[in-house]
Amino acid sequence: MYSILIVDDETSIRMMLLDYLEDKYEVHTAENAEIGLRFCRERGFDMVISDVNMPGMKGPEFLNEVKKLHPAARTVLITAYNIDNYVRLARQFSITNIIPKTSPFNFTELDLLIDGLLTRNIFGLSRYLLPGYTPLGKFCVRSSKEAKDVREGITALLIEKLGTAGNMKLILDEIITNAVYHAPAFPDGTQKYQEFVDVRLEPDEFVHLECGYDSEKYGIAILDNKGRLTKETVLYKIDRQITGEGILDDSGRGIHMSRLFSDRMIINIAPKSKTEIILMNYFSHKYRGYKPLYINEL
Amino acid sequence: MALLISLSACALLFACALGLSYAVISLKRKKTGLERTLTALEEKSDTQLANKIKLSKQQLETTFDAITDYICAIDAEFTVMRVNKSYADFVKAPIRDIIGKHCYEVFWGLKSPCERCPARKTFASAAPVFKQHFTLRTVAGVRHFDIGTYPVAPGEGKPENVIEHIRDVTDERSILEQLIRSEKLATIGTMTAGIAHEMINPLSGISGTVTNMLQLPHKYGLNEKGKQRLTALRDAAARATMIMKDLLHLSRKEDATTILTDINAIIMKAVNAVQLKGFPPLEYKLMLDQSLTMVLCDPLKIEQVIINMVTNAVQSIVEKKNTLTLQSVQYSGLIIISTQALDEMVRIDIIDNGAGISEDIKSKIFDPFFTTRAPGEGTGLGLSLCQRIVEEHNGRILVESARGLTTFSIVLPAQPNSASIIL
Repeated sequence: MYSILIVDDETSIRMMLLDYLEDKYEVHTAENAEIGLRFCRERGFDMVISDVNMPGMKGPEFLNEVKKLHPAARTVLITAYNIDNYVRLARQFSITNIIPKTSPFNFTELDLLIDGLLTRNIFGLSRYLLPGYTPLGKFCVRSSKEAKDVREGITALLIEKLGTAGNMKLILDEIITNAVYHAPAFPDGTQKYQEFVDVRLEPDEFVHLECGYDSEKYGIAILDNKGRLTKETVLYKIDRQITGEGILDDSGRGIHMSRLFSDRMIINIAPKSKTEIILMNYFSHKYRGYKPLYINEL
Repeated sequence: MALLISLSACALLFACALGLSYAVISLKRKKTGLERTLTALEEKSDTQLANKIKLSKQQLETTFDAITDYICAIDAEFTVMRVNKSYADFVKAPIRDIIGKHCYEVFWGLKSPCERCPARKTFASAAPVFKQHFTLRTVAGVRHFDIGTYPVAPGEGKPENVIEHIRDVTDERSILEQLIRSEKLATIGTMTAGIAHEMINPLSGISGTVTNMLQLPHKYGLNEKGKQRLTALRDAAARATMIMKDLLHLSRKEDATTILTDINAIIMKAVNAVQLKGFPPLEYKLMLDQSLTMVLCDPLKIEQVIINMVTNAVQSIVEKKNTLTLQSVQYSGLIIISTQALDEMVRIDIIDNGAGISEDIKSKIFDPFFTTRAPGEGTGLGLSLCQRIVEEHNGRILVESARGLTTFSIVLPAQPNSASIIL
C-alpha cells in the first residue's frame, strides 16, 4: 500500500483528504511543515501533499526539504490561491503538480493525479474520462496539410455531437503546430522542420489525436512520439507568459494559451519517447476557477 | 477713477470688477459723482478720456453678463438692483422684471428673507461672507449652491449695496460623491480579495468533507435526516463559494489576454451556453453584422459578459411572464442580439422585452451586490463584473429601458490599446 503524507494547517482540508484517501492508501497528516518534516525524518512516504500558505515554513520550501530526505517521493502542492502566482516558485523547486482547492472539491481529478504519479501510468485519454465514457474518434496527422483538416474535423465533430467546442479550434491549432514542427528533430537535437513550410512527417513522427466525452466533460489527447518537451521547458514557458516577460517569445505562447483557454491541460512526458497533451473542458462551471498545474514526467 | 469710487476690500477680482461696474451704473442713475464728472470732462472736450471710461464700462458689463454663476446686487431692503444674464436665465424672467423685486422672492420663492442670509451679515459687518451652502428644491430636483456676499461701501461705514455671488455646485457635488464612492469601493475591493481567499480555503474543506460524508453515510453513522441536512450544507457552501469567486474576479486587477476575436462567434457560443442552462424556451433573433472586423479582446471575458447579459435578459423575461400569469395578456419573450461595425469600434446590442429597468434603479444596477432577484438567484455582482471587464477593454456599457424594451449596449474599440471611447 502506498503511503501519503498530507500537510495543511486547515483542519477541514486535512480531514477531507484523509477520509477520502484512507481506504486506498496509508495516510498520515500534519498541521504544519515542521511536524511534517519530523515525520519525514522518521520514515519515507511515496507521496507528500502540502498546502502552500502555512504559518512557519511554506509548502514549496517544505517539499524541497522532503525531496532532499527522500528523492523518490512524489510531491504535490494544494492551494486555495491563484496557482498562476506560484508557477515561478514551482519552477524554482521543480514542483510540477499543483491542485486547486475548489468547492465542490474535485475528487475525481485528485484520484487520477495521485494514481498517475504513484503508478506512473499516465498516458491515454481514457484514463482521464469517467468509466463508460463515449469515444468520439481517433485521428492521425501525417503532414502539415493534414493538420488543418484534422483540427477542423475535430471541432466540427464536437459541435455536432456536443453543441460546443469551446476554444478547442484555437488551441488545437497551437498544439498540433507544436507537435508537427517542434517535436521532430535531427540526431544532433536541432529542429527538423521549419514552421509555415509544408512538411511530410516520417511514420515515427506522426501526431495522434483522440477525442471523447463523459457525463461532465469532453477531452482531446494529442500525442507525439518524440518527447522532446521537458517539464522544465513547460514551466519556463508558462512562467514567462504569466509574468509577461515572455511577451515577445516566439514559442511558449501556444502552451500558455492552451492552458488558459481550456478548463484542464495535462502534460504527460516520457522523456525522449513521447509527449501527450490532454485538454479538457467541463460542461458546467462547477469546477472552474483557478487552473491547476499538471505536468507529469516519467 | 479710483478716487471717485471707493471699494471696500473685496476678496475676488470679479466681485471687485462687478462692484465697480455696478457702482458706475448706480452713480450714473443718481446723476451724481461720475455722471457729473463725465459731463464736465465732455464739456472740457476731453472726449478721449470719456471714451476710455465708456469702453471700461462696456468691458465690465460684458464680463458681468459672461459669468455663468448667478450674480445680483441688492440694497439693504433686499431689493434687487441689478442681475447678470445667467441670473435672469436661471429664474426664467427678463432682467427688467427682476429689478425692483426682493431677491428672496425672485430666486428662492420665499415671502421673507432667508434666516441664514449671508447678505444680511455683510450689510451689518461690512465684511464679505464666503461659500455659504444653500439648497433649493426645484421641479428638476434639488440644486446645491455656494453663496458669497461682498459689500459695496462708498467710503467707510455701512455698505450701501451687497453683491451676491451664487454658484451652482450640484454637478460638482455629485462628481465628488461618485469619486468618494469609487475610492471606498477600491479599498473594499482590496480587503475583499484577502477575505475571499481565506474563505475559499475552509469552504473547500467544508464542501469536500460534506461530499465525503454523503458518499459514504454509514462510515459517518449518518441517517436520512443527517443526509438531508448535509445536502443543505453542501448547497450553502457552493453558494458561498460562488459569491467569493465573483468577489475575487471583481477585486482582481489583471491584464486581459487579448487575441483577435470574432465577436459574432462569441455571441453564438454565449447564446448556446445560456440555452443550455435550462431556462424556458424563448425566441432569439440574432442580427449579426457579417462585415464586423475581428476585435482584439480577451474572448473568455467578453463571452462571460455576453452570457451574463443574455442571462439577465432571459431572467427579466421570466420575471415579466410571472407577473402576467393572472392576466390573460398575450406576451411572448423576445431577445434580439445585434452587432454593428462602427468607426474603429464594434457595438453589441442585447435587447429584451422583459420586465425592464425603472429609472430610479438605473443608476444602481452596476453597483456591486445590487440585485432585484431573490436571494440565491444571483450574487448581484454580475453587472459590476461586466462593467469591469468592458472597461478593462477600454469599452463602455450603455443601458436604455423604455417602451417595454431594455437595451444593453457594449461598445468595444477594435484595438483596445488605442484611445478610450468617449461617448
